[in-house]
Amino acid sequence: MRIIGPDELVFGVDNVGACGSFLADYGLIGDGNGRFAALDNTAITVRDKQEPSLPAPMKTASMLRQTIWGVEDQATLDQIEAELSRDRPVAKSADGTLACRDDSGFEIAFRVTRRTKLDLPAELINSPGAKPGRGTNVVGANEDAEARPRSLSHIVYFVPDMDKMANFYIERLGFVITDKFTNTGPFLRPQANDDHHVLFMIQTPEYMQGIEHLAFHMQGPTELMLAGSRMVKKGYESFWGPGRHKFGSNWFWYFNSPLGTHVEYDADMDKHDGDWVERETPMTKDAAQMFLFENVEKWAPGGGPPPAQK
Amino acid sequence: MTSEPLFLCRVDDIGEGGSIGVAPDHRGRDRVLLVRQGQAIYGYINNCPHYDRAPLGWKKDAFLSGDQTRIMCAAHGALFTITDGLCELGPCLGQRLTPVALVITECEVFGLDIPEFAYGRSTQQSSGAAA
Repeated sequence: MRIIGPDELVFGVDNVGACGSFLADYGLIGDGNGRFAALDNTAITVRDKQEPSLPAPMKTASMLRQTIWGVEDQATLDQIEAELSRDRPVAKSADGTLACRDDSGFEIAFRVTRRTKLDLPAELINSPGAKPGRGTNVVGANEDAEARPRSLSHIVYFVPDMDKMANFYIERLGFVITDKFTNTGPFLRPQANDDHHVLFMIQTPEYMQGIEHLAFHMQGPTELMLAGSRMVKKGYESFWGPGRHKFGSNWFWYFNSPLGTHVEYDADMDKHDGDWVERETPMTKDAAQMFLFENVEKWAPGGGPPPAQK
Repeated sequence: MTSEPLFLCRVDDIGEGGSIGVAPDHRGRDRVLLVRQGQAIYGYINNCPHYDRAPLGWKKDAFLSGDQTRIMCAAHGALFTITDGLCELGPCLGQRLTPVALVITECEVFGLDIPEFAYGRSTQQSSGAAA
């Protein structure tokens, strides 16, 4: 099945204004109607939680109302409709979007992707022994660089039964396991996407079910650092990072958000195909990160760190 | 053992029905959150019971749900009662925020026995954020 990845996530929130400010500061581009898009038009949509058009809320604290998956073409949509209609109601809206629930009770939808194909430069670096990434006299440290999220990268759920959840996406929708944290959950990618993961899950008690975090891809580690530093400077609460993960290799920086979920910047994630053999390891802090920094106030050698605030 | 009361803020620094983060550590992280409701002020350690060293706010001084009736952890949306810090919904259901004993004079707020801590996820397992 030619599923590409998450196209859009829809939230029902109690503070639309705060969520809008957060997502705009995070770097997404608002359309004035609650939809905040990355450069490739993948997006987060926030609506007031009372809005009747929203899919039903979960009984937990999770504010995520729907995960919309983007697929390559109409043939894939037809295939998904035939497959999932075998054992559940699948609603079809005027524009052809299919909506139903997965086996864990999450509201999901499928549509021909609205993402655009990006043609943008990667982070350019100079490395001894390699052809310079940047031309002579081109400066790498640009404080005024834009730093906008390029694409909705992945979504992570808290689920009461990781096997039930994973098997639905694997057996019914053709997702592939790339790696696994024992007793936590697998990292999954769909067939039309070679990213290490677009979907991950963490097994938790039932009352915790919901979204754990979402992430967007940035150009590279430098842009991730720049965007995250700007968030900290604006007073946002860094939760974890910046650092680099082991599984997936992606750089990460997580922030708390008024959407009641962590919102992550990621960069430079591994790519995989069918030749890849999944790895498995127990979930520990050493398995989760290769290294971790913490943002502190700037200082220069000789100046010393800032004095402790009293 | 009670230490010297630590000055946290002036009563007027907390907007009516609002929240504020106080007692920054050496990294500038606020160790305590305060919520004001009328004449009453409630103080809690800024750490969600869900994980160790997980700050609750999503932005400086932003610790409440949209309707300001609950303390909200912006990590996963957990909601706590303002008066006793009990989690009513979310990953730490039934657990409580750690209260901070306050001494409130006519116009100033002091806290007692506020632990020193520095956030840093390098020494703690983060069981819920792995991808």
